[in-house]
Amino acid sequence: MKNIDGIEAMRPLARVEPGKPGGRPSGAGARTLLASITAEEPGAAAAEPHRARRYGPRRLALGLAAVAVLATGVVVGPSLLKDGRGTDPAYAVTKDANGIVYVKVRDFHDAAGLTRQLKDLGVPAVVDYVPEGQQCREPRATYVTDVPRGLYYAPTNIPGEEGGPGWQMQIDTRRFKDGQTFVWTIGESGTSTILMNDPVAPCVLVPADPPKPRPDFLDYRVATTEGHSLAGYRVEGKTVGEVVPEIEKRGLKVTYMIIEPYPGNPGGYSMDPARQDIPVGKDWVVWEAREPRRSPGEVRLVVTDKRYDRSPLGSPED
Amino acid sequence: MDDERPARFEAVYRETYGQITAYVARRCGSPQDAADVVAETFAIAWRRMDDMPPGQQATLWLYGVARKVLAAHRRGEVRRQARSAELDAELADLYGDSPDSRVELGAIAQALGTLPDDDRELLALVAWEGLDRAEIATTLGLSRNAVRIRLYRARRRLSRALAEAGVRFTAESRLVPAERTS
Repeated sequence: MKNIDGIEAMRPLARVEPGKPGGRPSGAGARTLLASITAEEPGAAAAEPHRARRYGPRRLALGLAAVAVLATGVVVGPSLLKDGRGTDPAYAVTKDANGIVYVKVRDFHDAAGLTRQLKDLGVPAVVDYVPEGQQCREPRATYVTDVPRGLYYAPTNIPGEEGGPGWQMQIDTRRFKDGQTFVWTIGESGTSTILMNDPVAPCVLVPADPPKPRPDFLDYRVATTEGHSLAGYRVEGKTVGEVVPEIEKRGLKVTYMIIEPYPGNPGGYSMDPARQDIPVGKDWVVWEAREPRRSPGEVRLVVTDKRYDRSPLGSPED
Repeated sequence: MDDERPARFEAVYRETYGQITAYVARRCGSPQDAADVVAETFAIAWRRMDDMPPGQQATLWLYGVARKVLAAHRRGEVRRQARSAELDAELADLYGDSPDSRVELGAIAQALGTLPDDDRELLALVAWEGLDRAEIATTLGLSRNAVRIRLYRARRRLSRALAEAGVRFTAESRLVPAERTS
């Protein structure tokens, strides 16, 4: 900007100085988030919703201290897991001269043995095996909220390696404080490693919570883009009367989302859940057609009861 | 399932995390909200890996995703989902410095607050993210020409709002040091 103008004047208002990064990807929170996200199947595969959901972000949803999560998609290469005799141990725990403990787990059943080994090497851990479809009854203890930095690195997948459901992580044993226990629950469907304050209740297995539904807007995508049910058909600005026959001709069921643009239509809108069953007239205006990501056959038209000079949705959605 | 996805995603994540967290923190009132929006943005990116363009374009695409998540968050449509104390704490660090509270800045912020959201976002993409017109066009899914026109109008409206708020600039106006990257 050559001139000192309003844009220049805005720069000091930025919470994070322009040109500077915000968070660091190497931070524990960033790594934990990465692990929890990639624990879901990419594309939230419809074929395996249970696997995609369980123990993913949901475990983090509890408002926890550091929670490291991963699911069966996170893998450790077999070569890393073989011991000197060429067999694959269920788990391996080693400690280096700096007090860093390296843990590799490939079979989850011997939780008691793993607990023992960890304790022997200075990790105050309790490990429980949790079968598919179950979870430990919560809460078991209060969570440590000020997890010492560098205490552990969240379990991560190793790029480019294939194999079983195993994972590995490292823990700096010098950073534990008295009265804290590292509580691990491990199983085929996921792992959580949470630092808790003593005393920690034993794991009582209960059925796992059903996955929470995602907010609606995440489950719908634009129907008119390539490869989707209305590919190539333009709806923006047309009337309901024009669009509906075209959609029904394709054997699709039409539903509506009635929106209310912000006053003056500056871009942006609100949607009142209580006013969604108002009958939609043929002269109403369509701004976008959406379809459910997982169950085809429906097209949801985003409509307003009158015409506006431009789309209240702002720029075209992806 | 495509096995290179986790590695590719991780690379993009590492590359863009700083920019996306900065973008979100500049627009969210609290670190908790920022943590929700950052988490949801990357979760969507992971689910839509197939739509994510390669290279630098991925950052612009992520800005676009973050923008929509922010809008949804403001409408109350994003559940609190990815809460870890460490993520909150790391983002809270960004909120730690007491902002420059000169009267003049308060007036600028107020003037900015009177603009429509779209104007503010356009101006912020220039002032805060340092994007050029072509990049903004990609981020917002608009034509370059549309960006040019909207930006021109937004700047004009901002100037007017600033004038009404009594903010004037002189050549000595403090300029923020440009482009310090780490």
